[in-house]
Amino acid sequence: MQIVQPAVAGTMESSDIMIRIEPGGAGVELSLESSVLSQFGKQIESVIRGSLAELGVESARVTAVDKGALDCTVRARVMTAAYRGAGQENHSWEVKV
Amino acid sequence: MSELSAISLLQGKRLEDTRAFLARHGLSMGEDMDYTAQLFEGGVIFATGSLCGNVLKYVAVEESAQGEGACARIVSELASEAYRRGRTHLFLYTKPDSAPFFRSLGFYDVIAAGGIAMLENHKAGLDAYLASLQRGTGRQGAVVMNCAPFTLGHRYLVEEAAQRVDSLHLFVVSEEWGPFSPEKRLAMVKVGTADIPHILLHECGSYLVSAATFPTYFIKDKCRAEAAQAELDIALFGQKIAPALSISIRFVGTEPYCPVTARYNRRLAEELPRYGLELVELPRKDGISASEVRRAMAANDWERVRQLVPQSTYEALRSNA
Repeated sequence: MQIVQPAVAGTMESSDIMIRIEPGGAGVELSLESSVLSQFGKQIESVIRGSLAELGVESARVTAVDKGALDCTVRARVMTAAYRGAGQENHSWEVKV
Repeated sequence: MSELSAISLLQGKRLEDTRAFLARHGLSMGEDMDYTAQLFEGGVIFATGSLCGNVLKYVAVEESAQGEGACARIVSELASEAYRRGRTHLFLYTKPDSAPFFRSLGFYDVIAAGGIAMLENHKAGLDAYLASLQRGTGRQGAVVMNCAPFTLGHRYLVEEAAQRVDSLHLFVVSEEWGPFSPEKRLAMVKVGTADIPHILLHECGSYLVSAATFPTYFIKDKCRAEAAQAELDIALFGQKIAPALSISIRFVGTEPYCPVTARYNRRLAEELPRYGLELVELPRKDGISASEVRRAMAANDWERVRQLVPQSTYEALRSNA
């Protein structure tokens, strides 16, 4: 998946995460701010990178401002931001079984 | 549960209510907002914030609701809307005491001076801007100009300054201002200075003399607001821009007409030595000013325009007229 435009998903409210994604960067360049950085920073980063890898995003500048989001929230916000950034709004959200 | 409501054009009673709410929080609202997000409880505003271009302004939360995430909701909504509108590089100004809170919302320090902290949402955004600028050699100077339009006066200042240094950094203000777009102004300067050696032409971006983005709204006293603006701008130049580019001299033209610019120049003369920089004030050539050119254009007096601007600017102006 190619990121072609800046996009954002999520909020900076408690228990959420705001993901901003922009084209460019050598690989996925991630800057993460979190209220729980010391406890969960590595875990959040791995969820973000994992979600992008699943979507086939190879290069992007990603900024994440986390307010204690659960992994599933992080994943959903990353996917939404990536789809928007790729200009694909009509993707299927159905879970593959 | 409070209700979030956002609107592009704030008007009527809601505008009045917002003004009154901000006034109680020590802020005065201009007319530059193009998107406003607010929280209501029982029809009463208890938090508000606006987007003005790429600057977040007029952010205030009722004391009783502070610490409950109201501000995070407002800032989230404004940042999301800014992105939807394609504005990804955002700024805000706040009191230094409030800066830590905005840091927790993904904003980073640019500079603090004159009782104001300037933050941006790009980590190391200023560093990236500075890294993108072409480097000079030897003794280096800088001129910051608006050039609306580029006149013989500007040209004289640049020629004189260029003779006194090995490399001259020429910053053209990037604000949308007056009848000339930033691109047009930059193009006029580029063509008009092409034959002067050792010039490095730069866009100011959002980091130098960006009057439209300045937070006069949270300083009631206009004189103090102007002084704080100058202090912030000069600190940014003195602490960040000049050292990054090894600039040791700033050149300005003498300013006999505009009192604001004259005061700004005086502040430069006072402040720059504190950063180890020198200010050189060069006499203005024949009293030429860009505002006189704009007046002549408005009066369709092209003969007068021709006397005030280089041939290249004249041609650019005629081709647009």
